Formats: sequence, structure tokens, C-alpha cells
Amino acid sequence: MTLRHIRIIAAREALAERGQPDGLVSAVTFIATLILVESLAVGPLAASQPAVAAALFWIAMAFAAIIVTSRSFERELEDDALGAVLALPGGRDAIYGGKVVALAALLALVAAVGGGLSLVLLSLDVALPGHLLTVAAAGVLSLPPVMVLFVALALRLRSRGTLVPILVLPVLVPQLVAATNGTAAAMSGDTAGALGWAGLLVAFALVYSVLGLTIVPAALE
Amino acid sequence: MISTTAKTTSALRARPFLGAASVVALFTALWMALVWSPPDAAMGNVVRILYVHVANAWLAYLAFIVVFVASVAYLWTKRPVFDAIAVSSAEIGVLFTGLTLVLGSIWAEPTWGVWWSWEPRVITTAVMFAMYVGYLLIRNLSDDLERRATRAAILGIVLVVDVPIVHLSVTWMNALHQLPSVLRPDLAPTLDPSMLAALIAMTIAFTFLYAYLMTARVDIERRRQARIMAARA
Repeated sequence: MTLRHIRIIAAREALAERGQPDGLVSAVTFIATLILVESLAVGPLAASQPAVAAALFWIAMAFAAIIVTSRSFERELEDDALGAVLALPGGRDAIYGGKVVALAALLALVAAVGGGLSLVLLSLDVALPGHLLTVAAAGVLSLPPVMVLFVALALRLRSRGTLVPILVLPVLVPQLVAATNGTAAAMSGDTAGALGWAGLLVAFALVYSVLGLTIVPAALE
Repeated sequence: MISTTAKTTSALRARPFLGAASVVALFTALWMALVWSPPDAAMGNVVRILYVHVANAWLAYLAFIVVFVASVAYLWTKRPVFDAIAVSSAEIGVLFTGLTLVLGSIWAEPTWGVWWSWEPRVITTAVMFAMYVGYLLIRNLSDDLERRATRAAILGIVLVVDVPIVHLSVTWMNALHQLPSVLRPDLAPTLDPSMLAALIAMTIAFTFLYAYLMTARVDIERRRQARIMAARA
């Protein structure tokens, strides 16, 4: 596996999404709906508190990431193209790496829409915008390595639609806690807190990327 | 193609001795915990729940670390015995993690005044419980022995990340739960010597119990693997 192979797979994913953007459209629609519904459920006043707004956003992001990742693999199952993807140069670890890179880019778009919507609808004040972007980028990077791993594991199982959230959400708890606390810290002006949590998110992204690259080839069938 | 046969192993031959050792060790540990060790200055007799609670938690850690080791061994060798070890240990781990949560809750009510507290050790333990329930769930959704074992092995490797998170959560975050008293970074337990002795005795007893349950459960799983293979042949 080389960076070139990862780039080829990532480009292929991006092209597939551009040709048939149902994963991205579903995720963006989903995150917008969920942020609206969550904010209504807890009440706009409570939802505009930094910690609550951050938690609502990252929970919505986790579910949106499940949608985007599942769609990426389902497209290949529907087109009966998984065998061809597995035969691409670079090996199965390149498929994992390429999908992680492509999904991170897609999730960045989803986060931009969901984050923008939260900021506008809840009239949120952001004390440290640069730090908020750093935490958001780190949070987005921390999701795909876990998502791709678990969706690949459940790929050919019946009830995978139910199974993936059951498996993924408990594993994502540390990332969700870190992303929520980091976002709330950036919104309320805590520089050290925001950077500390962002660092933890990057560490999680690295740990799961290494783990995924090592063991995911055995999971892809 | 996976191949397996159920045969008598040294572990199976050791099972009666492990059972006897478990019974003796459990009675000794219970006597030490309930009679010999003193009540705690602050908690009184409620502290005695902790001997079982901590031993349960130890067993859960041990079981999930065994799942991890057996999963690595399975992916390395593809020998079904390691898959049998992994699933057996995961089931025992889930059982004892559940008991850890229940016993912790029983202890928390008179000590903290609540049955459930949203504090890091409790939450990370509950998350670990949910993760390994997911591990058992994913195993039941596939009929292909080899694929199921491979998926489960990958999951067994990934999920072990939560074990150190559970143990260290109380040092990373401000928590209501007390800090580690035995497995501390400075290797200096903070317990009264008689309490520490009772706790160690209970932990040893639970470890014997784990070994006994493992030999029984692995035997059942090996026979099941052999039956499936025979039916397929």
C-alpha cells in the first residue's frame, strides 16, 4: 500500500459520490433535521448553552457519519462491485485508507452545514472561532477510522443497519465526549481546554487509523 | 476451510481440580471478607460488598484481555480453539461486568445516596458492557464459522481499548468513584493490610472460578464447532 493507492481509492469514492450523491444528501438532510428536532425537544434556550449545543451537534454528526459510511459500502454491494474494489491495486489496507480519507472530506462538508445551521438557528456566540475550527477538524478526523472499521465488519451481516450503531456508538463515546468538551471550550473562550481536547481527538484518530490499517484487511470479504 | 475436533485436553482434565479449588478459595475468601477483616471506619460493614465488587471488576478486565489475546492468536493461526476461547471469555466477561455494575449500584446507594451516578468509572464500565454485548451479538448474526470467527477476532482486538479507559477514567477525570487502591501506578496499595489480604484472597478465588468456567465453556464451544463441521461435511 502506498499513498498513491490511497489517493486512487479516495478519488474513486469522491467520483462515486459526485455521480450519485445520495450518501452526502442523506447525511446533510439528516443532520439538519436532527439538529432542529433536538433543539426543539430540549428547548431553544437550553439548546443554545455551549455544552448542550456542542453535544447535540456531535451526536448528530455521529449518526450522519454512520449514514455516509454505510452508504459508501452499500453502493458497492448494490452494484455488485465489491469484488472489483477488492481487486484494486494497493491491497485491502489501501481501501481502508482511501475510504477513511474520502469519508473525512465528506464529513467535513456535513459538519460545515450542520455547524453553520447550529450557529444560525441557536444564535450561538463563538469566543474562539479558530479553535472551534481546529476542534471541528479534529472531531471530523476522529470519526471515519472507527466508522469504516465497523461498517466493514458488519458488511455482509443481516440486520447490519441496526448492528452498526449498536457497535459503533459505545466505541465513539470517548471521541464524542472529547469533541463536545472541546467545542464547548472553544465557544466559551477556554483556549487550553479546546486545544487539549483537539489533541485527544487527533490521538484517537491516529490510534484507530493504525488499528484499522493493521486489521481491517482481514475484515473485508 | 476451518477444521476442528473435540478432544480431551489437559485443561479438561484439570476442570474438577479447578472446581474444587474455586469452592475452597471462595469459602476462604468469603470468611476473610465477612468475618476476619474489620469494618471500614467510614463505610462500616458496607465495605464488604467491595471485596466482591472489585473481584468481579478484576475478572471482567481479565476476561476481556483474554478475548484480546485469543483474538490476536486466532487471526495469526486461524485455529478454531482460539475462537472458542475468545467467545467463552467474552461471555464470562459480560456476565461479570454486569455483576460489577449491579454490585457497584448496591454499594453506591448507602454510600453515595444514589443507585446510579453519572461518573466516569460507572459510565465507562457500562459502555464496556454494551460493547461486549455487541461483540456477542455480531457473533450470532453469521452462520459461517470462519467469517464469524474473523469478525469477532477483529472486534475483540478493537474493543480492548476500553479496558484501560475504564481503569484510568478515575485518574483522568474528576470523579466521585474512589481512585485505584490496588492497581496503582506507584505499586503501593492504599488499603489496610487485613482488607488488602481479604481482597487478594477474593481476587484469587474469582480467578480460579474464571479458570473453571473457561474450561467448561470452551469445552461446550469446541463440541459445538465439531457438530457444525460434522453437519457441513
